[in-house]
Amino acid sequence: MEGFIAELKDKIIETLGLTDVRPEDIPVDGQLIGSELGLDSIDVLELVMMIEKDYGVKIENREAGVKVFASLRALAAYIDANRREKDR
Amino acid sequence: MKGVRAFVCGTGIVSAAGGGVEATWDALRQGTSRLTPLALFPAAHTPPLPVGEVRDAPEVDGLPRTHALAWAAAREALAATALIPDALVLGSTTGGMPTTERLLEAGERRPEAYRHHAVGSVAAWLARRLSCRGPVITVSTACSSGTAALKIALELIRCGQARVVLAGGADALCRMTYYGFHALQLIDPEGARPLDRDRRGLSVAEGAAFVLLVAAESPPAGALAELAGAGWSCDAYHPAAPRPDGTGALAAMRAALADAGMTAAALDYINLHGTGTPDNDLAEARAVRTLCGDPPPPVSSLKGLFGHTLGASGAIEAVVSALGIHHGFIPGNCGCRIPDPALGLVPELTGQSRPVRSVLSNSFGFGGNNASLVLTAPRSAAAACAPRLPARFSVLGAACLTGAGPLEETLARYWRGEPFPGRPDLAAVRTEIPAGQLRRLKRLSRMVLLLALAARQAARTAAAPGGIFFGTAWGSLTETHDFLKKLFDSGERFTSPTDFVGSVHNAPASQAAIFLEATGANVTVSGGDQSFEQALYTAGLVLRAGDPPALVIGAEEHHDVLSPCFDAAATADGGGAFLLDPRGGGTGPDLAPVHFAFNPGGDDGLPALIESLGGAERLRGRFGAVFAGLPAGDRSGGEALLERFRRETALSAPCIDYRRLTGEFAGASAVAAVLAVETVRRGALPPALAGGKDPRLEGRGILLLGLGECIAAVEVSAP
Repeated sequence: MEGFIAELKDKIIETLGLTDVRPEDIPVDGQLIGSELGLDSIDVLELVMMIEKDYGVKIENREAGVKVFASLRALAAYIDANRREKDR
Repeated sequence: MKGVRAFVCGTGIVSAAGGGVEATWDALRQGTSRLTPLALFPAAHTPPLPVGEVRDAPEVDGLPRTHALAWAAAREALAATALIPDALVLGSTTGGMPTTERLLEAGERRPEAYRHHAVGSVAAWLARRLSCRGPVITVSTACSSGTAALKIALELIRCGQARVVLAGGADALCRMTYYGFHALQLIDPEGARPLDRDRRGLSVAEGAAFVLLVAAESPPAGALAELAGAGWSCDAYHPAAPRPDGTGALAAMRAALADAGMTAAALDYINLHGTGTPDNDLAEARAVRTLCGDPPPPVSSLKGLFGHTLGASGAIEAVVSALGIHHGFIPGNCGCRIPDPALGLVPELTGQSRPVRSVLSNSFGFGGNNASLVLTAPRSAAAACAPRLPARFSVLGAACLTGAGPLEETLARYWRGEPFPGRPDLAAVRTEIPAGQLRRLKRLSRMVLLLALAARQAARTAAAPGGIFFGTAWGSLTETHDFLKKLFDSGERFTSPTDFVGSVHNAPASQAAIFLEATGANVTVSGGDQSFEQALYTAGLVLRAGDPPALVIGAEEHHDVLSPCFDAAATADGGGAFLLDPRGGGTGPDLAPVHFAFNPGGDDGLPALIESLGGAERLRGRFGAVFAGLPAGDRSGGEALLERFRRETALSAPCIDYRRLTGEFAGASAVAAVLAVETVRRGALPPALAGGKDPRLEGRGILLLGLGECIAAVEVSAP
C-alpha cells in the first residue's frame, strides 16, 4: 500500500500542476482537501477523472467524493479495493 | 426633469418549450418539465442525461446552431414592428462552438470553415441581417450573460447612444457544455429540481431570447413592461462555486433595486437563478432571505422547465417575467416536489394567476459574475434617469505585454521607432503570483493577471479596483483546446473540469477579480479586433463619476493549433490594461471612448464617426496624431476607410499604422492605447514614426481609430 500511496502522490502533483509541492509535502493521513496544499472542489473532480482514466474506478457523486477524499490513505484504499473487485 | 426610460416593446424566444412566445406561454401555464434525454448528438454516457433541447430547431444554411436559434428569437422580437434596432447587445458563451467542436474533431484546419466560431460572430451576423449600424456588443459572463446584456442595453439608452436596442442571449447545446458540466458533477441525472430537498444539479439546455427595448419618456403603445433597473456584482471568490453566504448575489440584487429606485418591499415576484445545484440554491436563498426578510415575495425558478440555457437564460427569464407582468401570472417552480427545509425559502410549486407589477430576475455565472434586473409594468409616471454622457476616464495607471515584454521594454523599442511583434515571455508571472494560485491558470489568464497587477502598480495603489472590464476576441484558447482534445482523445469519456471552468471567456477577468478582490462589475465582452474598444466603450456606458477606479483590459493569446483556424493572420499576442478613474480630472491623460459602431465592409459609417468626434474642424484642432488599427482580415478596406477619413476631415497629422509595430493579433488595440497614453504624456511621437512630419503634439491628443468590422474611436487627450 505504501508503494501505491507514493505512486498516487506523483499522480496528484502531475494532474493538478502542483509545481511547488514535493511528494513528502502531501499528508498521508491528514486532510487532503482544504489543507495547506490549497486543493478545492475542482481539484477533487480533476482527480476523479484521473482515477477513472488510470485505474478504472468511478467516483460518481459528491457525497461519495467527500468520504473517498478524506485522506490520501482513504483514497488509496478505495481505489485499491474497487480495482481489485473489478479485476476479479 | 424629463428623462429617458426603457420599455419592452417586443419579445422573441425559443427553448425546449418550443419556438415563439405563444408556445412558451402555453408551457408556462401547463407547468410541466420540457427536459428530455439528450438526442442532439450521441452521448458517451448511458443513458443520455436530461437536457433542455430545442426540437425541430430552425436551421439557417451554413450557420452554427447558436446563430440559428438567435435569429429565430430576434425575428420574433421584431415581427410586430417596423423599427430597425440602432444597437444590439447579445449574451452568449458558446458562439459557434456547436460547429467548431465537430470541425476540430474532424481535423479541419481551413480558417474559412471557422468564420462563425467567435462568440461575437452571433451578434455580428444578426447585425448584418438587420442592417444595424450602431453599437453591437457581445457580453460573455457565463450564465449571467443574458442578464448582463440587458443591463448594457439599458445603459446604452440612458446614455443616449441608442433609441431602439435588441438585447438578449443565445446558447446552443454542444459537447463542450454537456460534458463540461458533467465533469463538474453539476448535472442532476433525474433532471433539474431547483430548490428541492433532493436536488443534485442542473440540466444543460439551449435556447435564445430577445427583448426589443425602446427609449421613451412615457410608455409607448403596446409596451409589455419596463426595464426599470439592473445591477451586477462579482463574488471575487471562486472560479466556479458561488460565495456560500450569498453576499455576492445579494449585492447584485440590491444594485438592481437601487438602479430602479425601488425597495424589495415593492417586489411582487422574484425569478430565481435557481439552477438546481446544491450550492447555488443555498447561496441564493440566503441572499433572498436577507434582501426581503420574512415573508419574501413569491419566488420560483424556471430551470426545471426549460433547463439551464446558460447565456440565454437571463434573456429567456426576462421575456417570461415580461409575460408574467403582462398576463398577471407567476410561473411555478417545475421539478420541485419537496422544498428543501434547509433553504428557508419555499417556491411557488404551481403557476399562480395574480397581478404582477414588478419582478426581480437573477442570473449568476461562473467566476461569480452576478447580474439582476428589475422589470415593472409600464408605469405612466415613474422616476426616469436623467440622460447622461458616457464617461471620460482619467488614466491612473497603464501596462502592456508585447513581443518586447512589459511596458518599459516595449516603450524602449517604440521610442526608437522599432517594431516589437511576437509573444511575451510570461516567466515574470512566477515571481508576481504564488505557485498555488498560478497552477490552474493558462496563458490568457496569466496575461490578464499580470496586466491587471502591473496597471495597478503603475497607479501606485494597492486598493481593490471597483470593477473589471475585459475585451477578448477568442477567449482562453489553451483551455478550450485542452478540454476538447482530452474529450476527443478519450472517446468522450474524460475531460478536464479545470479546463472547462477556465475555458469561459470571463475566466481571466474573474480570476483577476479574485486576486485583486474586485467585487464590482465584472464584464467580459467580445468583438473581434475591436474587443478592447468594446470593453472601454462598455465601461464608459456603465461607470459613473462617483464610482471607484476600474480596470479596463484587452488581451489575446496565440495558440498554435486554434489561432491559425480562428484568426489566420494572428502571429503575435499580448495586451494592454488601464486603471481608470471615472471621475476624470486626474493628472494622467484622459481616455474617452467616443464612438463604437458596427460597420461591416462598407464605408457609410464615416459621417457618424466624424459627427461623434465633433466635426472635422474640431478634430483637426484636437488631435496631433492618429493611431490606426487596420486588421489584416480586411486591410485594404481599412486603408481605404482611413484614406477617406483623412480626406474628408483634411486631417494632416501623422498617422501610425500600429499593427506594423505590435504584430497581428486581436488585442493589438489595447497595446496601441497604452502607447498613445505614453505618447501624450511625453508630448511627442517617436520621430522615426512621424512620417517626416513634426512629431510634437503641442498639447493636442491622439485619436485611436479601430477600422475593422466595427469603427471604434477613442480620444486620448492631455488632462
